[in-house]
Amino acid sequence: MSRVNDVGGQSGFGPILVAEDEPPFHADWEARVYALNVAMLRQGVYDLDQFRDAIERMPPAEYLAASYYERWLHAVETLTTGHGPAGHE
Amino acid sequence: MSEPRFAVGDRVRTSTVDPPHHTRLPRYARGQVGEVVEVQGTWPLADDRAQGFADPRVEPVYTVRFPAADLWGPPGGHWVQVELWESYLEVAT
Repeated sequence: MSRVNDVGGQSGFGPILVAEDEPPFHADWEARVYALNVAMLRQGVYDLDQFRDAIERMPPAEYLAASYYERWLHAVETLTTGHGPAGHE
Repeated sequence: MSEPRFAVGDRVRTSTVDPPHHTRLPRYARGQVGEVVEVQGTWPLADDRAQGFADPRVEPVYTVRFPAADLWGPPGGHWVQVELWESYLEVAT
């Protein structure tokens, strides 16, 4: 499905900025979300395609306003609770 | 498992269908003619896995290249390569 994430070739999003020596995570919670997702994938709770699908099914306005790891967190929560984001700050 | 239907050098046309679920055929490469540049072996179909199917189809995956100018218009003197499952492709006539 052509969802909000499918923007390849679309103009108007501006250049992709690549920072020198950018750290992999900008906050501890991002590293935790990363580790949590890897653990879920390795345990077979869900697979990578279900993970991508969960991100793509975010409401477009929410998707566009979210950061990279906020999208990951959304998907982890959706796939582990079945109800989507629940009570995170 | 299935034998690859296409070989390196074959011209293929991508599906025009926008399925109502996750797929790995991006919008910009839909309904386009490209050339197979590599056969990647067989992999479970992402579309099936994303829907939670217990027994997803396992298909050949191809690296297909498209002239960028075909996808987005000139200028574009380069190629765009996309990895695509066999069921996204048909013979280009």
